Amino acid sequence: MDIDTNNKTSDDELDHMFDMDDSNVFRADNPWARAPVESLGASASDLAADSPLLLKLFYQHFFPMKPYFQWLNYDISPTPSRTFMNREFCFTLHDETYIRFQSYKTMDEFRQELARLCPAKIDLGAIYNIRPKDKSMVRPAAFIPVSKELVFDIDMTDYDEIRTCCSGGDVCTKCWEFMTVAMKIIDVALRDDFGFKHLLWVYSGRRGIHCWIGDERARKLNNEQRKAIVSYLEVIKGGTQQGRKVKLPNTLHPSLSRSYDIIGQHFPSIVFDSQDVLTEPDNWEKVLAIIPDDGVQASLRSEWEKSPTRDPSKKWEDLKDAIGSAIAAAPKKRQALEHVPRDIMFQYTYPRLDEKVSTNINHLLKSPFCVHPKTGRVCVPIPIETCEEFDPKSPPTIPMLAKELDEYDAKHPPSENEPKLQAWQKTSLRGHVEVFERFVKGILRDVAEKKKMESSKSLDF
Amino acid sequence: MFTQERTQTRKTRQMLASGARFTYDDEPYPTRLNFYRDPPALEISIEEFEQFALDRMQVLTALQTAQMRNLPPDQMDKAVGDAIRNQELRQWFLRAECALFRYRFEKESLKEQLEFLEKQNLTWKKVSDDDKRLLKDKLKASSPFKAQNVDDETFFEVDFERVCGLVGKRQVYIHAGKAFVPLADQVVLVLDEFRERLAQALEVTGRALPRMDEDNRLMPVLNNINKQYLGREFTTSAVAGEIQAQDVDALKIHMPLCMEHLHDELRREKHTKHGGRMQYGLFLKGIGLSLEQALIFWQTAFANKSPDEFNKQYAYNVRHSYGMEGKRTDYTPYSCKSIIMGSAPGVGDHHGCPFRHFSAPNLRAKLAAHQVDEFDTEDILGLVGAKHYQIACTRYYEVTRARMIGGSPDTLRGGSGSALASGQGAGSEFRVASQEQIEHPNQFFEQSYKLMQQHKSTAAGGAGANGDQDMEAAPLDPTVKGRYTYRKVGGPSSIVNHDMEM
Repeated sequence: MDIDTNNKTSDDELDHMFDMDDSNVFRADNPWARAPVESLGASASDLAADSPLLLKLFYQHFFPMKPYFQWLNYDISPTPSRTFMNREFCFTLHDETYIRFQSYKTMDEFRQELARLCPAKIDLGAIYNIRPKDKSMVRPAAFIPVSKELVFDIDMTDYDEIRTCCSGGDVCTKCWEFMTVAMKIIDVALRDDFGFKHLLWVYSGRRGIHCWIGDERARKLNNEQRKAIVSYLEVIKGGTQQGRKVKLPNTLHPSLSRSYDIIGQHFPSIVFDSQDVLTEPDNWEKVLAIIPDDGVQASLRSEWEKSPTRDPSKKWEDLKDAIGSAIAAAPKKRQALEHVPRDIMFQYTYPRLDEKVSTNINHLLKSPFCVHPKTGRVCVPIPIETCEEFDPKSPPTIPMLAKELDEYDAKHPPSENEPKLQAWQKTSLRGHVEVFERFVKGILRDVAEKKKMESSKSLDF
Repeated sequence: MFTQERTQTRKTRQMLASGARFTYDDEPYPTRLNFYRDPPALEISIEEFEQFALDRMQVLTALQTAQMRNLPPDQMDKAVGDAIRNQELRQWFLRAECALFRYRFEKESLKEQLEFLEKQNLTWKKVSDDDKRLLKDKLKASSPFKAQNVDDETFFEVDFERVCGLVGKRQVYIHAGKAFVPLADQVVLVLDEFRERLAQALEVTGRALPRMDEDNRLMPVLNNINKQYLGREFTTSAVAGEIQAQDVDALKIHMPLCMEHLHDELRREKHTKHGGRMQYGLFLKGIGLSLEQALIFWQTAFANKSPDEFNKQYAYNVRHSYGMEGKRTDYTPYSCKSIIMGSAPGVGDHHGCPFRHFSAPNLRAKLAAHQVDEFDTEDILGLVGAKHYQIACTRYYEVTRARMIGGSPDTLRGGSGSALASGQGAGSEFRVASQEQIEHPNQFFEQSYKLMQQHKSTAAGGAGANGDQDMEAAPLDPTVKGRYTYRKVGGPSSIVNHDMEM
């Protein structure tokens, strides 16, 4: 029984998988045709960000097809698995037509379809019991989603009532901090509490982030279980007509205690500095409205109106003091007031999840490495370790990539000795693809280990 | 001999039906609780099967209603029998059965519970004392009410997927995918086991059912049971007749607060999120907006969307809710209960029940905008505070409708002896009597609308030629109390026989 020694799939082995030459595994139908790039050359930057021509360029040369396929295939073998073949792809074309329930038998088929349709957007759906393309051949009830990554969607528009720097589709580094907090809180909860290991955070291209959890266990969750995870994570409740949106019990659940620590690190910078929550009367009124005590509200209001320019951190102290003294004066108010400051902190910083996206196994979510039609930016992965440094304005656009590629080739004339590089390897997309590859590699390592375990088990019999 | 056997079987069946304990030697069901692993090995006539099944449905429905009302159900011991083929119904059945099982389990004595558990060979991994000490604070913070004394409490370590209810409510400590469940929450684990086994059994039964299609004795019964549950919806002709898209604004005065709010926000934002579209769209359907008119209404409402955008993004949903797309379910308008208990409005949402989902200041402002005086406002907010949202809405109806027909709110609220109730005759018919309440937004609308029509006709010269009809139209159908579902009867276009299309 030396399973242990055999069990570990070495990194080398997996590295090798990524190195494999196209022609070994995948039909080399695209031996680096540079012509379109060159012919576009200078004019690439003149085209609209979402022009089909640009997208064609992108899908043919920059889209990291191989790791992408390996991810969706969830197998160390390059043969397309059912997981890949039964996956729903949904394309949004340039006239905004949706084509749902697309599916492909091979990576090449998928690649050709991308080049043919040049979709403005690719969405990924669930993996079904049969191929989605064959959907119409069976009764509706016999077409069943069986698995999908657990996904999260956090959109800045859900922060509009507390965000003051931008609104709607705009983002800046100030409000991006909301997303940073969201990533930190959700990431650690999913790893530590639920034991998930393979998380991919992706910039949605404009004003939000997505998270893909690729663990087998996560993919197999049913809707009820997904819902349980979402409500475990969810803290902000109530529609536009409800002032106080957070009401947590006196004793915080260990998971929320941890979140509270993270919130504490960001609350001052978000609330005092970037969002002007306590500097503008309109904004501080919203905070006051949360306090369920008219006396406290009134005293703070008059105090702040007298000195509106008082330092926001001082105003926050005022608020805590006012609540403290209200409790001291009337101890029976303790229950209602004691944790109000804590709950305000949650309301102004805790992540706001789009519940429907996560709880429905067959809900679509935009694929990583799409190009956002409005901003033209590539939806790149965000490494969680350095998520604080991510700038939503930094991901490249297609014209930028074309330019980078030309610059690289000008500096590095092709030579026989050097290995051929993929187009994305010559551009700033490289770092982003590498983050993605690490994610895929982690998943494949698990798959490999599981396979070994199973085969050694069957040998035992 | 034969007769005796028959008698014996009948006796068994009766005991089964009454939920009583078996006293036979072989004891097929030794405890009153049952995981339904083994089917009853009895011969059952079709009539009896139907009776059992209906009884069971009745129990489950009653239990569900009781659950929604937060009342302790009292008559729970009834028949066995199941007949579910539809996936959705199966889910419903599963949930309902689990609720029934939970109720029964918790009602049993501890001894009975243990006895039952022992028989099922349920083994859950116990958390060791060392681990318990290590995790003490976290375990305590996770279930502060149930596990005060962590040292004395037994904890089980199970996959978090098995205790979704506890996870969702953040009432259990989870680490690395394992949930640490205190003994006090054991019922959740038992229930999970129960659900799993029943789900498997249902799956097997579901697969067996197609074969039963050929059996023309059993199938009609099964199909009918199905409808007995779903078929409670009754049809009402739209009081205002066929409505045109442009009529909606004028009809706003008859809408309950929830719908009026949705309407106002729709006009203001020129958009409404999905929850609002469903709640309001189905309501409009219920008051007589045909599919064609609904498409016109929503397209005009979403003024910022080009016709092209509208067709691509929203038209499908509108058609879908009229049963013209997808699985072709002809959706019925939401009742108050489903609005109150349903998915709460999230950020940017306007759906929901104002009495349930508005903060007090916002509700106050809303009431003030409808000239509800201070006294009534306090009254309504008091009801809201006590979580009587529908009664609050009922009170709102009374206060505002009384003004609408020119009576003073006092006379309406005052109950018996009011001028309106006894004298003119118009108002009393349409008052929501004290023992009744608003159960459905469409009921609110219809009552308000009829009240106005009647008032107009009395004002115009008394109960004339067509008065009688109107007079009798209003009272609610008492047999369907608590589960109003409205379905519009429209022109030929809206009559779709779904069974035929399946």
